Amino acid sequence: MKSKGMFILAICAIAAVLLACGCTDTGTSTDTEKDYISFGYQPSTHQVAYMIAKEKGWWGEDLAPYGIMDLEDHKFPTGAPEMQSMLAGDIDVAYVGAAPVISALATGLDAKIVAAVQVQGSDLVVRPEVTYTSPEDLKGLIIATFPPGTIQDTLLRDWLQSNGINPDTDVDIRPMGPGDATVAISEGAVDAVFLPHPAPATIAAEGNGYTAVKSGEMEKDHACCVLVVSGDLIRNHPDMVEQIVKTHIKATEYTIANQDEAAQIYHDMNKVDMAVIEDSFANWDGRWITDPAIITGSVVDYTNVQADLGYIDRPLTEDEIFDLSFYQKATEA
Amino acid sequence: MRKQNKNTYRNILIPLASVALVILVWQIVAVYIVGNTFKLPSFTEVVSAFFADMFGPRGTLPTDIVVSLYHFAIGMAAALIIGIPTGICMGWFRDIDIALNPIVEIIRPIPPLAWIPFAIIWFGLTHEAAGFIIFIGAVFPVIINTYTGFRNVPKVFIEAGKVLGCTKNLALIQKIGFPSAIPEITAGVRVSMGIGWMCLVGAEIFGAGTGKYGLGKNLWTYYNLHQMDSVVVYMLVLGVIGIVIDMLFRHYVNKQTVRWQNNME
Amino acid sequence: MAFVSVEHVTKVFPRDEGEPTVALKDINLAIEEKEFICIVGASGCGKTTLLRIIAGLETTSEGQILLSGRPIEGTDTDRGMVFQEYSLFPWKSVIDNIAFGLEMRGIPKTERREKAEKYLKIIRMEQFRDAYPHELSGGMRQRVAIARALANEPKVLLMDEPFGALDAQTRNVMQRELLEIWEETKKTVIFVTHSVDEAVFLADRIVILSPRPGKIEEVITVDLPRMRDRTAQEFAEMRKYILKIMEDSASIR
Repeated sequence: MKSKGMFILAICAIAAVLLACGCTDTGTSTDTEKDYISFGYQPSTHQVAYMIAKEKGWWGEDLAPYGIMDLEDHKFPTGAPEMQSMLAGDIDVAYVGAAPVISALATGLDAKIVAAVQVQGSDLVVRPEVTYTSPEDLKGLIIATFPPGTIQDTLLRDWLQSNGINPDTDVDIRPMGPGDATVAISEGAVDAVFLPHPAPATIAAEGNGYTAVKSGEMEKDHACCVLVVSGDLIRNHPDMVEQIVKTHIKATEYTIANQDEAAQIYHDMNKVDMAVIEDSFANWDGRWITDPAIITGSVVDYTNVQADLGYIDRPLTEDEIFDLSFYQKATEA
Repeated sequence: MRKQNKNTYRNILIPLASVALVILVWQIVAVYIVGNTFKLPSFTEVVSAFFADMFGPRGTLPTDIVVSLYHFAIGMAAALIIGIPTGICMGWFRDIDIALNPIVEIIRPIPPLAWIPFAIIWFGLTHEAAGFIIFIGAVFPVIINTYTGFRNVPKVFIEAGKVLGCTKNLALIQKIGFPSAIPEITAGVRVSMGIGWMCLVGAEIFGAGTGKYGLGKNLWTYYNLHQMDSVVVYMLVLGVIGIVIDMLFRHYVNKQTVRWQNNME
Repeated sequence: MAFVSVEHVTKVFPRDEGEPTVALKDINLAIEEKEFICIVGASGCGKTTLLRIIAGLETTSEGQILLSGRPIEGTDTDRGMVFQEYSLFPWKSVIDNIAFGLEMRGIPKTERREKAEKYLKIIRMEQFRDAYPHELSGGMRQRVAIARALANEPKVLLMDEPFGALDAQTRNVMQRELLEIWEETKKTVIFVTHSVDEAVFLADRIVILSPRPGKIEEVITVDLPRMRDRTAQEFAEMRKYILKIMEDSASIR
């Protein structure tokens, strides 16, 4: 009987500890004193605007007046782990594909898309020995792309389906990051990849494949990367958010006007060959943009696709995804 | 009658009550304290995810279990086929031991998951690649325990065998060395199964295996989709299957060897 | 021609440092069929080494051993052995242990079990047929070991202090039983022991070895009729005689 008492005591002690942990860790901080901002981004030419602003010190300069003393950033291979990080409260601002945002919002992510980053810009690359004339030629192939819930995965499945190809049974889709996928196609472990730039250019430069379909051909002007900001920042520091959007617009316009410099900066940060980056810029069908209004339709569309795929329970509405006010304010001045 | 009641109380009610209490605490903490299904899915959410994954239209749990067991079987079979003969040779022939020992000792400490890149390069994204990782984790305990078992065969058994007419090396290994070493070998196999099962998840996450099914694979898929309740389901399934495999092995092997194991002098 | 002939056997064990050990020096012995020979001596006199050489588990440095006129090379089923340590295979039942030698000869299962039955009967352990060694007492295990050695129908039975690990009472019982088995099977037995008492009880002839280097001090014939009375005067005298020889040889060196 004594051991039973000890046992119950032990359980109560454990519960008390958990209670204490739960009460003290409230996830997102609610204090209004915020002196650092954490960014998330991916090594893709889609998000070069972030990198330009970082390289030129604009994030630091522009946010200092709002009390920001420290900046940190995290590089993610794909959008899925980036959204994990945001769900866990580790990043405040994310450059990320729109699709991962959707599945994260559906799981309770407290954030909103406040600006667009770019559209299109991903290629379906097939190995040199594969002859591609139509989607039919993809039947029976192994295709590597980003994990479920990402733009690439969502778009690829949607496009295959609308071309009468069953993404589960007619092709073998394997999830992996950009580095792994590039190695996989060069090894011949997969027959094709669907990846955002600059990976397609890297693969072509190494002679391991050629572009068969550009994502813009799959869906014209489909939304790709977006700028997402945490709900905490939106509610407690709206002025900061407005500035972030402004800096993003400045960086994007600079990128479009100074592509050579942008290529250099991308090369310095990500160690990709200059020739490959320049080739990528010349040949991709992507466009850097900033106005979220352009992509609302496309993004809401993604939620329908994801609901169909079973990734989320129900499609989301525009209001659940976007907060367009910041862009409006940023461009009013 | 009284003794039976007391045993029932001890062996069934107490563990049951303890588990129930943990579940209760979990549920309360998840719903009222953490309140975020991403950070801590509640017990009820996990249960409904289990039913969806097991029986629902999009659930792949049964196939995942089969595929993972297949990877496990490939890896374990390879570990036994390569590990046991290697251990026998090293344990029986001193020269082979001296020759192979440094190689084994260099390769053994490399964590199985560090082999994933080569698994994928050599085997592609196939079931065999996943099996290979499990093999790497499982083979060394098998080799080492087989080796020890053979090294420790009491000399008198071998000499008795010789004077009774068992003189050739192969016959001595088969008829005397092996039966004598079985307790050590089975201990090694049991350890290796535990390690192999744990390597399974890592192997499948990194794409070894054919990419659509597998407990490790889909645990990661659900993570990518931020569906943590299913992640917990897969974690628990992995744990339960690991235990079941161990229990089955112990039961079957014990039946065979416990007969003579007591007081083997 | 002696049945077992030990001719000028010398055994030297090399050592890592210093002089090699001369375990046996120029041993000569002629053993007749159906004789019960005991080899006694203090520890280190080489008696076990000599036995193992006859068994074929060790080689000679010089000299040879002939069995029925032919030199022995390595182990053979014509020389069976019972070891000092428990040597039954723990994974086999009693009957399967006894049948092991027959199994090695390729005799099919039913036939060999039948043959093994015969020896199981001789050691009077029929009801333990399916028991496992770990279930048996020390004395029973050695009886099974004897049966196992005999089942192969060797020409010579070698025994290396087989009762050394048993308590005194069991030991006496086992000595009696061994003699009964020997009477029944009529084997040539070479029995090593450090117990003079045991040797006097069992042997037709006793070979006394002295140590460093091992050599034969004397070979004594024991004329007493069996079963010998341990308390009889002749028994005690024989014991005394042997012990004195052993003491003297020990003090000289």
